[in-house]
Amino acid sequence: MDLNGSHILPASNDRVWRMLMDTDTLTKIVPGITHLEKTGENEFKAVAQIKMGPVSGAFTGGLVLEDIREGEGYTLHVKQNSKIGNADATIRIDLKPTDEGHTELRFDGGAKLSGLLARTGNRVMSGVAHSLTKQFFENFEEEIETQKA
Amino acid sequence: MSNKYIGQSVKRIEDKRFITGKGRYTDDIKLLGMTHAAFVRSPYAHAIVVSIDTSAAQDMPGVMAIFTGDDIKATGIVGVPTGWQVNFKNGDTMKEPPHPLLVATGSTVKHIGDPVAVIIAESYAAAVDAAEMVEVEWEDLPAVTDPMKATQEGATLVHEDAPGNLAFDWELGNPLSEVDQAISESAHVTSLEFVNQRLVPNAIEPRAYIGQYDEVSDKYTLYTSTQNPHLIRLLMCAFVLGIPEHKVRVLGPDVGGGFGSKIYHYTEEALVTWASKQINRPIKWTETRSEAFQLDAHGRDHVTKAEMGFDADGNIKALRIKTFANLGAYLSTFAPAVPTYLHGTLLQGLYTTPKIHIDLQAVFTHTVAVDAYRGAGRPEATYLLERLVDLAALEMGKDPIQLRKQNFIPAFDGVDQPGYQTQVALQYDSGNYHGVVDKAMEMLGYEEFRRMQKEASQNGKLLGVGFSTYIEACGIAPSAVVGALGARAGLYESAQVRVQPTGKVSVYSGSHSHGQGHETTFAQIVADKFGIPMEDVDIIHGDSDAVAFGMGTYGSRSLAVGGSAIVKSIDKVLEKGAKIAAHKLECSEDDLEFDEGKWTVKGTDKSISFGDVALTAYVPHVYPQGLEPGLDFASFYDPTNFTYPFGCHIAVVEVDKETGKVKLNRFIAVDDVGNVINPMIVDGQIHGGLAQGIGQALLEGAIYDENGQLINASYMDYAMPRADDLPMFELGRQETPCPHNPLGVKGAGEAGCIGSTPAVVNAVIDALWSGGHKVKDIMMPLTPERVWTAMQQ
Repeated sequence: MDLNGSHILPASNDRVWRMLMDTDTLTKIVPGITHLEKTGENEFKAVAQIKMGPVSGAFTGGLVLEDIREGEGYTLHVKQNSKIGNADATIRIDLKPTDEGHTELRFDGGAKLSGLLARTGNRVMSGVAHSLTKQFFENFEEEIETQKA
Repeated sequence: MSNKYIGQSVKRIEDKRFITGKGRYTDDIKLLGMTHAAFVRSPYAHAIVVSIDTSAAQDMPGVMAIFTGDDIKATGIVGVPTGWQVNFKNGDTMKEPPHPLLVATGSTVKHIGDPVAVIIAESYAAAVDAAEMVEVEWEDLPAVTDPMKATQEGATLVHEDAPGNLAFDWELGNPLSEVDQAISESAHVTSLEFVNQRLVPNAIEPRAYIGQYDEVSDKYTLYTSTQNPHLIRLLMCAFVLGIPEHKVRVLGPDVGGGFGSKIYHYTEEALVTWASKQINRPIKWTETRSEAFQLDAHGRDHVTKAEMGFDADGNIKALRIKTFANLGAYLSTFAPAVPTYLHGTLLQGLYTTPKIHIDLQAVFTHTVAVDAYRGAGRPEATYLLERLVDLAALEMGKDPIQLRKQNFIPAFDGVDQPGYQTQVALQYDSGNYHGVVDKAMEMLGYEEFRRMQKEASQNGKLLGVGFSTYIEACGIAPSAVVGALGARAGLYESAQVRVQPTGKVSVYSGSHSHGQGHETTFAQIVADKFGIPMEDVDIIHGDSDAVAFGMGTYGSRSLAVGGSAIVKSIDKVLEKGAKIAAHKLECSEDDLEFDEGKWTVKGTDKSISFGDVALTAYVPHVYPQGLEPGLDFASFYDPTNFTYPFGCHIAVVEVDKETGKVKLNRFIAVDDVGNVINPMIVDGQIHGGLAQGIGQALLEGAIYDENGQLINASYMDYAMPRADDLPMFELGRQETPCPHNPLGVKGAGEAGCIGSTPAVVNAVIDALWSGGHKVKDIMMPLTPERVWTAMQQ
């Protein structure tokens, strides 16, 4: 499953970068994540609840930030296991300042799915990816507003 | 002999229980103290089992026992075997890697669903809950699913000791150099590269097993949803568990379809049997539909390059085939035979092609095993031949029927005229190939159709007609022949005919029905042969303790082989009966004739009924000296040749120009399956086969993604044919008797599935050509998207 897209966020490059590196913020903006715990330098343990078409389940696993380019982006490795199958995703995130006080966030990567998730969720997967992406950016904008206030 | 039943559409005896919900399938059986199994299966197509932690599962309520691959490994049980050995061209032995019951830690799982542990619990729900608590650490590895990619250099290996992922390579036919030369000298060569896609068998009853161990008798009972109880017993006892056969009873209750997928000995069968002794309780396992998609041996999956050479007059001069056959991760019971001796040997088709060569690579991939699925090899052979011939007709501007007929083998009855020796090992028994084509063409109204097609294309509509003629090798099989080809078992059949003292008859057949109506067809034969009512005949099958032996039901063999075994025993009964009758009537046996259920002294009205002779046999107070009492005979019938049904199928389609959607308007099938005992049952078999063959052409296909995930493993995504996808079938029949079995029958189980697929695809191609789209091939299934895309090129 390919995962890619971009969105212009109403915040400075520096602000977006800081939010992307903050565990509490990530917990709030990444859809489905219910718990994120730092387990090492740029390593986290994550618990998520995700519904994909006819199947839903609780995922646990790791999240690792690599190739960290200060203020520019990083590569995110996510490995999540659940009773309905496992997901293994690698996503490169790039930030680029656009207009005054705005930042473009681009992401590009893919996810490998297995188990029931792959067997029965596949048909709705691109729709799920699309809506999760939309939700991510909505949450991000909301959080920018909240943190401003 | 009487003629009351044979040839009549007698309603099926078994249907009373099936349609009133009183069928008894394995999952319906509940034994005292029965426990339930659930498996922990791999979510990956290829991964190392690093560790398994069952401690949390052990503590779950209702859990009786948990076994892992390590436990099985410790017992020395290696795994389930294959039943056929096909060696490499250079003589090297076929690669036959072990297929473990459960994969042990440190080993690799090789397809999704490969099991690593089994939970046995008081209820199925408890077993499933506990299975979810088993923690497995996997190390995910790259997978290969495509048979061509699997043979490329550097491809991930499925088995370390099978380099290039080859199980074996194989060739058959005339020397390649002769075929190459004939192709190069041809005036026209039609070539086609195509995929014969992978299919899921989809029996309506999923596989189900119950293992039971009795401490007192030290005997196991296995209830199994199978096509062949005795073969399962033989394989499981002798090659898997090492239990003496007389200590295992295998029972096959009612079976809800198999289409090949229930021929094979599966790991779960052996596991529930073995484990029932470990816990000293019966264990049931019924697979889920999701497991059935992942685990029941799939069918087809060939990637082929085919070339057919013609001279300037349209005579076929040569056929050259290169095929990659995907066998999946493990060799299933019949797997090596399907792309070879059930496929390569059929490449003569109905044609006099003088030079034929097939080169085949049998390939391991990280997918579930591929084995025989309705037709098994023969649909693949028919598909490639019939696609080539129809396409050649389009390319050369010839009529597809004329082109076929000019290349047909002339009619022969196999009695006065000899059988036809092919270039690819087989000798056809009898055939009249022009006959079925003429009949089908008459039903179609060919000239009228072509007129309509022309008119339609002028009005912007795409109508097409597709033809397919086929031959299949059924009545599997002469033991000496298949033994020489690598079969590890004989393929005869047994039957015992027990006449009870009151003249009622119990027949014990090694052919085990999984929906074919044996209880009716066999009873029709017995009743007519003895001149008694069908109600007086009972057919017993599916019990290894009751039936002497059996090789099961597949390859359209039940009537041709199993029925012939019954006839052999009937003949023995009548021979002995005549001795008893002669004694009672105080005459010589030669003076007697048997008709309408009684022996009569020729030219007199002195007679004795079948029932009276039976009673005399069991109450032998007035009895021939030296003759044993009783009237009970067993026979084994080993055929001298395969049987060769054939036929002609015609599809008429309309293709929607805007959407690419194919509508199947008509389907005509004229089949020659030899003599027919019950026309209604034969029609039913043809109907079912057609639905599956048309399903392959238009709807079905198992899809593995590049990671080896089966991504359409449910009825939400896998398109099974439904009634509204199919037209009313127009059936015709020709009867050319089989010359070498006593019933003259050839077999009807697979015909519909073998002939229909290429007819539909050819019809779509014909429709597109009528609109000026000179498309050579569209990959099956012909979804609207694929047809539309092909039209845009």
